[in-house]
Amino acid sequence: MNRKNIYLTMYVKLVLLVLLVIVSKSALAQQRSITGKVTGDKGEALPGATVILKGTSTGTSTNADGIYTIPVLSEQTNSTLVVSYIGYVSKEIAVGAQSVIDVAIDPDAKGLQEVIVVGYGTQKKESITGAISAVTSRDVGRVHAATVTGTLAGKIPGVQFRQADGRPGAAATIQIRNMGGNPLFIIDGVPKDKTQFDNLSPNDVETITVLKDASASIYGSRAANGVIIVTTKRGAVGQKSTINLDAYYGFQNWTRFPKVVNAYEWNLGKAEAEVNRNGTTAITQAELDKYNVGTEYGYQSFDWYDFIIKENSPQSNINLSASGGSDKINYYISATRLDQNSVMGREFIFNRSNIQSNIDAQISDRIKVGLTIAGRQETRKNPGVPGGDDYVAPKFAILRNRPGERPYANDNPDYINNISNPASNWGYLNYKRSGYLEEVYSSITPQFTGEYKTPIKGLLVKALYSYMFRDSQREVFEYTYDTYTYNPTTQVYNKTGGSQNPYRQRVVNKIDENIGQLQLNYTNTFGRHTITALALTERLRKRERNVEARTVPKTNSLPIMQFADIVAYADADFTQARVGYVGRVNYGFADKYFVEIAARRDASWKFSPTKRWGTFPSISAAWRISEEPFFKSFTGDGRVLGEIKLRASYGLLGDDNVRPNNVDLDPFAYNPGYSYNTGVGIMSGVTTVAARDRGIAFDRISWLTAKVTDIGLDFSLLNNKITGTLDYFRRNRDGLPAVKSDVFVPSEVGYALPQENLERDAVVGGEGSLVYNGSIKGVRFTIGGNLSYARSRFIKPYNPLYGNSLLQYRDSREDRWTGIFWGNEVIGQFQSQEEINNYPVNVDGQGNRTMIPGDLIYRDANNDGIINSRDERPIGYNINNTPFLSGGLNLTLQYKGFDFAADFSAGSMLAINRRFEQRNAYQNTGNVPRLLFDDRWRRADPLNPDSPWIAGKNIPLRYNDTGHSNQRDSDWWLLNIKYLRNRTMELGYTLPTLLTQKARIQKARVFVNTYNLFSLDNTRPYGIDPEVQDENGLQYPQTKLLNFGLNLSF
Amino acid sequence: MKKYILSLVVALGVVTGCKDDVEFLNVKSTNILLVDEVYGDPRLVLSAATELYNRIPELVEPANFGIYASFDEAFASGDYGRHQNREYSYDDWSLWDYGYIREINLFIERVEAAKALTPADKVRFVAEGRFLRANAYFEMVKRMGGVPLITESLTYDYSGDAAYLRKTRAKESEVYDYVIAEFEAIKSLLPKAPNEKSRATYGLALASKARAALYAGSIAKYGVNTPSVLLPNGEVGIPATKATAYFQTALAAAQELINANQYSLYQKAPDLSTNFANIFLDKANNSEVIFVEDYKLQSGKIHSFALDNQPRALTEEGERGGRLNPSLNLVQSFEKLDNTFAPLAINKGATTDYIYYDKPEDLFAGRDARLQGTVLVPGAIFKNRAIDIFAGIIQSNGTILTGDQLGQLKTVNGASVQVVGLSGPIEGYDGSAQGGFYMRKYNDPVTGSGQIGTQSEVWNVRYRYAEVLLNAAEAAFELGQNAVAAGYINQVRNRAGLTVPLTTGEITFDRIVHERKVELSFENHLLWDMKRWRIAHIVWDGSNSDLTTQPGKATEPSTRVYSLWPYKVYNPGGASHNKWVFRKVLSGRVTQSHIFRLGNYYSRISDGIINSNPLITRNPNQ
Repeated sequence: MNRKNIYLTMYVKLVLLVLLVIVSKSALAQQRSITGKVTGDKGEALPGATVILKGTSTGTSTNADGIYTIPVLSEQTNSTLVVSYIGYVSKEIAVGAQSVIDVAIDPDAKGLQEVIVVGYGTQKKESITGAISAVTSRDVGRVHAATVTGTLAGKIPGVQFRQADGRPGAAATIQIRNMGGNPLFIIDGVPKDKTQFDNLSPNDVETITVLKDASASIYGSRAANGVIIVTTKRGAVGQKSTINLDAYYGFQNWTRFPKVVNAYEWNLGKAEAEVNRNGTTAITQAELDKYNVGTEYGYQSFDWYDFIIKENSPQSNINLSASGGSDKINYYISATRLDQNSVMGREFIFNRSNIQSNIDAQISDRIKVGLTIAGRQETRKNPGVPGGDDYVAPKFAILRNRPGERPYANDNPDYINNISNPASNWGYLNYKRSGYLEEVYSSITPQFTGEYKTPIKGLLVKALYSYMFRDSQREVFEYTYDTYTYNPTTQVYNKTGGSQNPYRQRVVNKIDENIGQLQLNYTNTFGRHTITALALTERLRKRERNVEARTVPKTNSLPIMQFADIVAYADADFTQARVGYVGRVNYGFADKYFVEIAARRDASWKFSPTKRWGTFPSISAAWRISEEPFFKSFTGDGRVLGEIKLRASYGLLGDDNVRPNNVDLDPFAYNPGYSYNTGVGIMSGVTTVAARDRGIAFDRISWLTAKVTDIGLDFSLLNNKITGTLDYFRRNRDGLPAVKSDVFVPSEVGYALPQENLERDAVVGGEGSLVYNGSIKGVRFTIGGNLSYARSRFIKPYNPLYGNSLLQYRDSREDRWTGIFWGNEVIGQFQSQEEINNYPVNVDGQGNRTMIPGDLIYRDANNDGIINSRDERPIGYNINNTPFLSGGLNLTLQYKGFDFAADFSAGSMLAINRRFEQRNAYQNTGNVPRLLFDDRWRRADPLNPDSPWIAGKNIPLRYNDTGHSNQRDSDWWLLNIKYLRNRTMELGYTLPTLLTQKARIQKARVFVNTYNLFSLDNTRPYGIDPEVQDENGLQYPQTKLLNFGLNLSF
Repeated sequence: MKKYILSLVVALGVVTGCKDDVEFLNVKSTNILLVDEVYGDPRLVLSAATELYNRIPELVEPANFGIYASFDEAFASGDYGRHQNREYSYDDWSLWDYGYIREINLFIERVEAAKALTPADKVRFVAEGRFLRANAYFEMVKRMGGVPLITESLTYDYSGDAAYLRKTRAKESEVYDYVIAEFEAIKSLLPKAPNEKSRATYGLALASKARAALYAGSIAKYGVNTPSVLLPNGEVGIPATKATAYFQTALAAAQELINANQYSLYQKAPDLSTNFANIFLDKANNSEVIFVEDYKLQSGKIHSFALDNQPRALTEEGERGGRLNPSLNLVQSFEKLDNTFAPLAINKGATTDYIYYDKPEDLFAGRDARLQGTVLVPGAIFKNRAIDIFAGIIQSNGTILTGDQLGQLKTVNGASVQVVGLSGPIEGYDGSAQGGFYMRKYNDPVTGSGQIGTQSEVWNVRYRYAEVLLNAAEAAFELGQNAVAAGYINQVRNRAGLTVPLTTGEITFDRIVHERKVELSFENHLLWDMKRWRIAHIVWDGSNSDLTTQPGKATEPSTRVYSLWPYKVYNPGGASHNKWVFRKVLSGRVTQSHIFRLGNYYSRISDGIINSNPLITRNPNQ
């Protein structure tokens, strides 16, 4: 553990300690208490209603049965209780000398007064004009994923999700309406990147709001892929101080991973494969028999999966927070610690500590200030594994290592065996033998806010300054090691291989980010007219410095880097700067008609000075038809049809992440001159830094602009029991980079014309959601579902040129869906040699002489008698997308002290192209997955080429033969995935208040929770998780998590 | 109240007022130099030149040695596709790098315009720019035939019509003439500094001129053998009438360099094979090397040739090594010391009637020292260890026992016996000696060269004196001056231990071809030589050719690489126990015979190039 880590751990412990002291103190201060039940107009219990003692900071909330208990000092007989609940009218009751006060409150006639976080502010839900969805801590809190992203699967209509990688600390890909790229993340008012969003403590999240349409345009040049706004929890003024403990401990297992064959099967298959290819094999029946017995030295089988994978890997999370407020100050402070191990043993780990401190103070009638501090530290550590990604080798080992190979010579753990691929020998992939990799990210984000209520009614001035410092350090040390071969006759361990390459790397990265905002806010109501206006200016400056040094150390035992051993050093320093001006006016009339007009003028440092500024206006409107008198007369009391709101929005958004030639735009591309350090040369024996001419100025490009249209409908039925939304949208994007190819500039000029904003594409789709709230015989339940479809379509390439009509058919993008996968279509398998001999189409390009029974027959789509790439047709979806069609199902039940919740998510219209280990038996001469081995076409006697064929489902085996025609991309290998998976299930029990009260505990709840428990899908036969993306199927899949937890409130 | 308003105003100032937006957005790059900054300082001009030297186009460099296995010099132990493709693509070896030409033109123009450089600096930098440009055109004409000759930087004016920038292809001979004239013009502007190996010198200008003229001469002479490899306007093909003049130019340039006595053949180590290998390893006072791309440890400029080609059993890095295995085709080409050719003696007729050797390296004794200077044969010593290569053991009953693991042990009559060499060969086992041999030429014997973190600083030799001698010999031969030719070729052969001089009568086309094959193997000459002699389509003719029994004949088909696999005799108590026998093997991974089509003589000019400039004509036979 390095020094920083110690400090942060100490800090977390200190916070926990202080919180515990506060708990014990507050528990001592009570004198007498009032208890009672809060019910609604139909007598139903209202859990979570707030009860406070007027004019004090004493308060509580009701439990699942609607019961509250509130402490009152004995002498306070003239106190007043204030009972409030969202959607209900608050009620005040004099206390007097009573000790039991039951309260019935009535629903607010104005309906739901829910407040939604929007860009630079909040709005009442009914006045929202855009396509905006939100989830709250209640939805997020029950998903025990390691990252915040992981909590969102299936929760929000119009948000697509795919978690291909499930390693400790890994995050999912999320997309808003499949618009491509990352959305913009706003955390507590300022823009942040995805890793910061991922690594918030889910416990600290109050709400997550998604701006899906023109409502995002207020964020200007980075909003074209939608915006996700996160607000962290804050205490409320007048809220009783509460301490919350939330903890769980759980066990992880891989959802799925391909299974492999044993040594006997491996050799049997190899003999078969050799006979299939050459007609002969060197493997004899005698040897096969020895493998089948499997006891003789050299003929034993080894199960690498069992050797590497450790089941029930632990994951735990503990969060302790305190929140509350007086009439002047409110606070929320919290500390969270997550520890996530991996199924690859105790040495591949992730952990994270978060602290959050949100304090607001009303320091005068007009002035309010706040300080928000978020801090976190993430640590990833694992053995130092040669090669790029350290998680690859251990997974790869399961298929790469042959079952006849063993990790230790003569099974003696002191001697690493020399196997065919030493890098995947799990026997040495541990801290002791192979070294380590440790990455630590630490960040602290203090944020100051001030608010001044001007003497002009409704006019507020707000200022914000946010600073972020992030430090990350990567330490890699890979040791040298030797491998051995054991000679059983001489009983000697001979050194026969290993690595003499010690590798030591340090990367230090520092980011300083400064963001300032100043805003004017005006809200006023004139009769039935409500006006809200916002003017805001924002500046961002972010500097990133990166230093990397690498050495080849002389010893494995000292981690300090020596100058004499340095082989590489790299230094980088980037700064980015952005400026934005925002204006927005909202107008509402009679709570019926709403209009919002907004615009942002934005500038980004990365474009040429003449192309830096862009303006992004938007307009949206909503009409609550249900508020119209004619509608009311039509629907009567509104019990069947409660609310109907029509929304429409249109706006212009930007995306400054232009990617000419599919690489990120160099921010100084507009700047000609020489790039210094484009490599080095050894000139006359002296190392000389090379400098390359940057070519002509790349100054004709700017933002992508997106025009977003959204038409939506919000409704509620059956007295608000059913609520729902429906949306249709289309985003037309203009200005995709392309070269003006209608001017033929000879290539002999020596440069390509710079790209300009020329081409167009679109994303179209829709989404809907429906929630039912009900109760039957004391069981309160909600059932919610959502469904989204979003797909991108290329509209207009700039002056496309095709060599011929075939190329046009194959390569044209004009007005076509994107995400199409091309391949051959399999129409069957050869059933006999005779069929092959008489088959009219040349399937393998070699007159079918490489074909044997069981091999794949492709459709000769162009009828030219030969199968080649010209016969490829669209056979499925892209392999890297989030699902085009996705959805979620959410269910909650509550009965007395029990609560149950289940979340499902579904996806379709995505694909995996099974390749490498998923396609080729004995890939890299390694093991064979069962999915290729079982039920294959084979000969009755594998060693006899003349023996009859036994039909199977799988193609006959070949030994690492990637060139065979069976290996073509085809619908045999491309799998269009469909899945419905259970994300979370949670069963909780809240202990009766009577019991907990004695222990001075406000609320005590225990729960058992699962994550990814099961999945209904079509990827199961291949041993892969439905969200896996790596074509070899060897990605670290998501894990199944079973955990047990506890919530305590004091 | 006033103080609150005041602090608010201050805060407002802090947030917005410090800088205006334009200034706030003007972020300065940390790695861009302005043109004036570069050309105001000779050290930075050298930086710009370094970039241009680094990008000298070259077909094969230490890091992409794999192309060697595309022909018949080597087996690719791990990149089997090279032996499974029948045809060479028309796109192979193409080069149309006018971006590089433009940068060189800008370099020359900017040096000429620079005010802060001394006249001496200017002269040298301009001459270097002209060398790099001529060299780039030489590389292009070798591959594409005639190309547009652009010698100043061009800029499109965004007028919507770029027709004014179109240039036609020059004739192939015009490009050669330009290249030769440039080398001639700059030779005296460049330093006469034989110890300068990484920048252009007088010696390099002459060596380049000799090579270019020789190429032009042989295309003119041998083009008659491939009459269809021609374009009517001369973009491809050089009239035979020009041959003599080119050969004269080549001979004169080579002789000028030879007579300047600036370079000599490297002769330091007493062991002639080691001496030959050391030409490429010894950077201290190397009298033979003329021009290199240099590398240096701990500088960032290193290469992975040793990492990828260290013998598999000696690997310093997991499974890395042994990728390029010299072929039996090449190995048997090395002459015996009496100047005669013969296949390696491995059996007496029938393939199983073996000749028994005490040590594996005995099979290769008595041959041209360059054989073991180029190739590590089984049993050869590298990094102080013998290379353990054998494919299996042969038992007394003639059965072969082998395995699929390096150095695998199997139980034979109760005893553990090693049945495969520690370096293989095992068919399909990447990096094992599947060709039967490993590389010695360019293979760095320094500890650490096989480690991925350290790698190798062996330089990439582009011009050396032995080639100048062979160029002189070939030009003289083509001009009928066989005695002159013999004089030059015998210098090279003598250094290799072939001490019996070739007589004037023994100087033939086959001899010229053969000498270059064995002296310059793996030095980026094979393809260009085969093309200019117009025998590529004869040697790589697509037939399922067997290994030739006439290794000295230039036109013998050689379409598939053969391997030589040693076996150890296992017959305890028997007379031949532990002796070595050899089998000629065609690997199962070699599934196709190479065919070099007439359309391969000049690489394809892509549709994109022609679309953007319709004046560009296509190459023939494609």
